Order: sequence, then C-alpha cells, then structure tokens
Amino acid sequence: MTKTPNTKRPVTSAEAKGFQKIGINIRKHWQIYVLLIPALVWYLMFAYYPMAGLQLAFKTYKAKLGIWGSPWCGFQNYTAVFRDVAFWNSIKRTLFINFGRLIFTFPAPILLAIAFNELRVGRYKKVMQTVFTFPHFLSWVIVASVIQNLLSVDGLINSAISALGGTPINILGSEKAFQPLLYLSDIWKGAGYSSIIYLSAISGIDQDQYEAAEIDGASRWQRIIHITLPSILPTISVMFILTCGNLMTAGFDQIFNLSNAATKNVAEVLDMYIYRVTFQGSVDFGFSTAVALFRSVINMIFLLVADRTSKALGGGGLFG
Amino acid sequence: MAKTAAANTAVQTKHKKRKSFEALDWILLILLTAGLLAVLIPFLNVVAISFTSYKEYMQSTWVVWPKNPTLDAYKELFKDSRILIGYKTTLMYLLVGLPLNLILCVTLAYALSRKGWPGRKVILMLVLFTMIFNGGIVPMYLVMKSFNLTNTIWSVILAQGMNTFNMILIYNYFCSLPEALVESASLDGADEWTIMARIIVPLAKPILATVVLFVAVQLWNEYFMSMIFLRSKDFQSLQQVLRSIVMDSQVVDTASQTVDVGERNFTDAIKMAAVMATMVPVMCVYPFLQKYFAKGIMMGAIKS
Repeated sequence: MTKTPNTKRPVTSAEAKGFQKIGINIRKHWQIYVLLIPALVWYLMFAYYPMAGLQLAFKTYKAKLGIWGSPWCGFQNYTAVFRDVAFWNSIKRTLFINFGRLIFTFPAPILLAIAFNELRVGRYKKVMQTVFTFPHFLSWVIVASVIQNLLSVDGLINSAISALGGTPINILGSEKAFQPLLYLSDIWKGAGYSSIIYLSAISGIDQDQYEAAEIDGASRWQRIIHITLPSILPTISVMFILTCGNLMTAGFDQIFNLSNAATKNVAEVLDMYIYRVTFQGSVDFGFSTAVALFRSVINMIFLLVADRTSKALGGGGLFG
Repeated sequence: MAKTAAANTAVQTKHKKRKSFEALDWILLILLTAGLLAVLIPFLNVVAISFTSYKEYMQSTWVVWPKNPTLDAYKELFKDSRILIGYKTTLMYLLVGLPLNLILCVTLAYALSRKGWPGRKVILMLVLFTMIFNGGIVPMYLVMKSFNLTNTIWSVILAQGMNTFNMILIYNYFCSLPEALVESASLDGADEWTIMARIIVPLAKPILATVVLFVAVQLWNEYFMSMIFLRSKDFQSLQQVLRSIVMDSQVVDTASQTVDVGERNFTDAIKMAAVMATMVPVMCVYPFLQKYFAKGIMMGAIKS
C-alpha cells in the first residue's frame, strides 16, 4: 500500500466514492427496498428455498434429519434412476408425445387464426371466437369429465354408434387411441385461445401489402402464403420456443385426468413417473428429487437452445 | 366532394364483399362451423344429462334433450358434503389468494419499474430465472412439510401466492407509463408508497383487472397442488372433489366395465351436475375475461 501511493490512491478513492455513491443511493431509495420485502420473502421461501432443496438429489433423505441434515451420497440416486427402465420409458414417451404435439397441436391455432382472418362474416365470427376460446379457462378435470361423458361406453358417441347399429368402442380404455386423444383434447381446449396471439399478429400486418398484391393479381391463397405467413413468422418462432422449452413437460393435469387403469402403461410420461415414485408406494425423496432435478435441467437446456436457434434464424428470441 | 368519396368507398366495400364470397369462403365457413359444433355439443350434452332423470337415462343413453327435465341430480349432489367442502376450500383460495397475489405482484412490479436503485438488475435476473428453472413439486412438498403447512389450505395459497408471468405483465405496464408522473410527484414530496397507491395503481386498472381474472381462474382451477398438499377429507379443492365424483368410479368402469367399488354409486346425471357446478361460475366471469385477456396476452407478448 505504502510502496506505490501515487498509482493506488486515486483508484481506492474512486472506489470509495463509488461505494459511497451506492450507499447514498440505497439510503435515498430505502422506501423501494421496503416495498421489495414481501415479494422477495416469497421468492426466497417458495422459489429459491425449494431450489436449494434440490440438493436432495445427491443425498439419502432421512425424514428425521430433514433436507439439510440428510447425509450426502454422491451420485448414488442417479445410478439408481438411470438403472430404472421405467424412467427411460417415461422419457421416451414424453418426448414422443411432445414431438407429436409439435406436429399436430402446434399448427392448429395458426391455421385457426388464418381461417378466422379470411372468414368474412362479422357477427358470426365473434360468436365463434367466444366459443372456441372458452374451454381454455376450464381445468383439465372439467375437460376430462366432459370428454369422458362424450366418449365413455355409454356416452354420446357410443350411444349414437349403437343407435345406428354398430358396436360401441371403448375409446378411453384403448392404448392406441390415447395419443390421438391427447392431441385432440389439446386442440379442443387450447387452439382457440392460442390463436388470439396469432390473430393479433395478423391484425398488425399493413393492409397496403394485400391491396398491392391483389392489384398484381395474387390469388387469396397466394396472399396467405406470401404475406400472412411470413408476417406472423416471428410470432410463430417465439411460440415454437416456448413449446420446445417444455419438451420434457407433457402436461401432468391433462394426462393424469385422461388416463385410467386401462391406459396407464402408455400414459406414464416423466411427470406421471415422478408423481408415482414420489407419492405412491415406497417413498424415496432422494430418488424422486434426482429425477425432478434432471427434468428441470433438461428443460432449461431445451429452452435456452430453442431461444438461440430462433435468434439465429432471425426470429425474435425469448430473452430480449 | 366528401359525400361522393364516402359513397364511393361504400360502393367499393359492398362490391368487395360480394366478390370475395367464393368457394374458399364456403369451405372456411363449413369447417369452422364444424369446429364450433365440436366444441358446443359436448357442453350441451353435459347440460342435457345433468337434467335427465335416472329412469329416462336408463331407457336410452342417447340424450339430446331430456323429455322431463328434473333437478334431482343437483339435489342429490348438494346433499353430498364433499361438494360443499370443495366450494369452501376454493372460495378461501380466492379470498386470501387474490389479495396476496395482487399485493406481491404490484409491490415488486412497482419497485422494479423504478430505476436507479442499486441491485435492481440482480433482483430482476433472479426473478426471471425462476421462470426458466424451478425446483419442481418434490422439494416444494418437502418445504411445505417442513413449514408444517401440508393439509392446510395455506400450503396451496402460499405456493400460488405469486406468479412471475403476471408480475411481468404488470411491470411492463408500469414501465409504459410516463416517468414524468412519478418524478413530479416525488418532487412534490410524495413517498414511494403514496405514488404507487395513489398514482400508478389507479392508472393501471386495465392490467390489474386482467391479472385479477387470470389469478381467479388459476385459483378456481387449482388441482395439482391441492392434490399433493391436501391429503385429508376435510380440505379438498373443488376440482379435487369433482375428480373424485366423476373419475374415481370411472377408473373401474373402463378397466373392467362391471365392478363398482366407489363408496357411492354416482349416476351420470349427478356427475354431470358436478361438472356444471364447477363450470358455471367460470362461464359467469367469462364475458369479463374475454374483455381483458386478449389485452393481457398482447401486453405480455410485447416484452417477455
């Protein structure tokens, strides 16, 4: 310190000034810090404290010792998880179902929005939009109940089939029908709501473009392909990112409520697997936390990769 | 001049309309109407069956509309204590959860929207990080257990006490308000609390209405956490009760089709009455929802 006073002193004093400035700033804004307290307490207790609880993935959970006191066990939980065939099957199923969603469910609201935009019957259109959007606000328990009422052995569809002289089909109990059922119920519940975001993107398109194209002799179909679609591509890419970020989450509520004893073999996605190993049968919280952490990390990676990809492709990213 | 121009455009639009109703329009109209029916018919069937008497349903399960509508199913449903427990629990979620959500979201959003205080960026990052990474349900359950909150409604209310997405919606709205408003008020000597409560919040009514409706629907539909945290018969959310009425006997029904192990055999009419009891309140707020949610998503989409 004393050796080079000339070079050090200005730096330290500037630093001191900096700290002083921060101190003054903090004092000046003390009311803001008071306002922050409730929310920060919530984030600490119910977001970051559970996150810290993820350390259980590397511990052997002992109920008496709690999360913090349980002994460390290294990667023992993970060797057990990776040895479990049911775990790998649930991952395969989750990815398979979610890729199916990308193909079947994802385009539905886009098509719906374009169809809405092309439809030229004012008031009826509003009625339709109201009806299509409504199911989004219902819980999966309600939707599953409605679907069960429709498709069960004595439901509307099967009553119609037997009235016409056919044999009833047990759709809800069929393993083959389970995935199509997921995609269809996804669309039934969510397409109307998700289409709103595309509709608003469409409403932002400059109408002059359409008029110019019309003068140039472009058909309506061509206008959809060459004007509407490219214009909403950024929105599509953002929605695509969001969907990709959830590739490891296959909608627990939906699958839990639509599956039953007959379809449990095809319904065990990762979330269902976590639920089963955590809350049913012999409980090993270390093991299930290991699975949960694995899922969270993979989810985050998916989300970040999708974000980068979308940015590289020229679409908007998620984070600025 | 103006008159003729107006007439001109009127003629033009009329002409446009007539011209544009071509094959494509008919195809779209038919397809969308088919979609409309696909959404409506399941609901109408639920309504119809809930009003059908057991006797009529036994004669034919093909019910378009009951010949003699009765309220029997509803009477039976409300005799069961479970549905009342469900209503009570879910109403508590709303009564406590809504103010809690609003207070936490608004204070945080306001603090973050004010610039110039040290630590703002770090806190914003930490808050946003919870949107892409979270502990998941297992540590959450253990945390609730360690706080001795499981089997009380507080576990669900607190876990649902804050929603980062909603907070961001409000934050974006606050940021879009002119900064001069806050500055002139603070020059007049108003403290932060007053500025927030008296100036910013009244201006942000549309977004707050949106968030209130979002949270209300989220709490009304709360199922997953209730199922994990509430494992006693005295505390059950409405959705849990609905599931136990509709699904639990169905599981057996589709698996073996003959056995019935449910403690009580609910007829299809009672099940559908339960669906109605859970769904009708959402229908009642839906017009308001519709007014606000589109705005809400748009605002969220701008900068999230």
